[in-house]
Amino acid sequence: MAKSYQEINEKIARGEAVVVTAEEVIGIVKERGVKEAADYVDVVTTATFGPMCSSGAFLNFGHSDPPIRMGEISLNGVSAYGGLAAVDTYLGATQPSTDKGIEYGGAHVISDLIAGKEVHLVAKSQGTDCYPRTELDTWVTLEDLNEAYLFNPRNVYQNYNAAINGSSHRLYTYMGILQPNMGNITYSTAGELSPLLNDPLLKTIGMGTRIFFGGAQGYVSWMGTQFNTACPRDEKGYPQTPGATLALIGNMKEMNSKYIRGAVYEGYGTSMFVGVGIPIPILNEEIMAFVAVENKDLYTNVIDYSVPKKAKPVLKKVSYAELRSGSVDINGKNIKTSPLSSLKMAREIAEELNNWIKKGEFFLQEPIQSFPMGNSLKGLEIKEGESR
Amino acid sequence: MMTKKILLSFPQKAAGQPMAMELIKTYHLDFNILKAFIDDNIKGTLLLEIKGEEADIEAGIVYLRQHQIGVRDIESVVEVDPDKCVSCGACTAVCAVGALEMTADWSLVHHDDKCLECMLCVKACPMRAIHALI
Repeated sequence: MAKSYQEINEKIARGEAVVVTAEEVIGIVKERGVKEAADYVDVVTTATFGPMCSSGAFLNFGHSDPPIRMGEISLNGVSAYGGLAAVDTYLGATQPSTDKGIEYGGAHVISDLIAGKEVHLVAKSQGTDCYPRTELDTWVTLEDLNEAYLFNPRNVYQNYNAAINGSSHRLYTYMGILQPNMGNITYSTAGELSPLLNDPLLKTIGMGTRIFFGGAQGYVSWMGTQFNTACPRDEKGYPQTPGATLALIGNMKEMNSKYIRGAVYEGYGTSMFVGVGIPIPILNEEIMAFVAVENKDLYTNVIDYSVPKKAKPVLKKVSYAELRSGSVDINGKNIKTSPLSSLKMAREIAEELNNWIKKGEFFLQEPIQSFPMGNSLKGLEIKEGESR
Repeated sequence: MMTKKILLSFPQKAAGQPMAMELIKTYHLDFNILKAFIDDNIKGTLLLEIKGEEADIEAGIVYLRQHQIGVRDIESVVEVDPDKCVSCGACTAVCAVGALEMTADWSLVHHDDKCLECMLCVKACPMRAIHALI
């Protein structure tokens, strides 16, 4: 029997909703079958906690006296964008600091702000009639700011490549350190617990979906950048390569620095670990069947990151069950596999979201608009000629 | 006979004294120098694997401490800070000897007795939760 968002929310309000994680639901579906399980379960919680570079924060500092129109802005030595209104800025997660480089970047500033730490704000300006101040040097905390919200343009990739290194020298990548001569394989996913792999055709996740975001209640605000719903899929519809992505928004003042952490990838740059949990309402049997997916049925490609081209060679198609087993056989060689995103933390987030819903603190929001299917990726053509 | 790993830290004034000779001659200890390092302030660090009778090892350590040398029992030269570690697994990708590995519930575990001190995990850790003692 089909359920509506409203019916599920009423059950949540009465404390009667059956809420389980995307790992727990697998056993329930095996035991009871899709039909009965769809009647029994109301919400399935999914989660992920991994590096998501395309992240950052909008901040408003409030006006000093006399006021300044901030042009060059830095927070703990990390440059923030000065092309918005007087005291608005966007701080990108991957921006390195001038003194510590990638060891301390935008993501670390964001995490420190969320942790309640004081941050050193330095700003410069030309000075104008309405904004006469030309320099500013002070300390701010998150509480001091008017608004502070994360707006991450691309998070929670639906699926992602596994990485290997076919060259004879060590590689330092956003997929971690890759040992030469196919010494190891790295992968980054929550697999069967991953939000978008549990809703492969985006039947319930769309613009306006309420989510767990860094410990706060946030929202899906748009499709993520490089949104690729035209990706190759298996016969059931699960993406086999990087697919959909989400743009997320949430109030930093309600977040917990445990779930938003600065990260450093040696030789590559700064990134941010972002904790995201997305509830999937079990509206019907089709959605129930999708969330029952297991790691053995989810596939990705092992890609050779030593090829310095956009199109890198695929060495093997593997399931997440194989990657999670600790090793994968490639051309007769047993190669060690290692994760890059934390399944342990993802499980904690799925549990936390589960508790919010069970306690009636979190209600489902039906998307106000679905995302397009069949959306493909464009590359960037390098065009010759100085003027056109 | 027993074997143990100790990390010695020499203050500036202790540098240049023949401590190692004493350990061999007086306390009959065998040792293997695993790592040695002297910084810009002439402070020295020495990682030793020592072998000998338990009483001799203890007496040797007392001797070193009497000469203002810091002695610390360790298994591994790297430490994982549990408050910073999120169990992502990035360090396990480079640990060829399985000193860092994921448990069945996907927590990171550090088998420090297996560590060969390659220190690659220090670089691989995105949380900078692994630091080297030397």
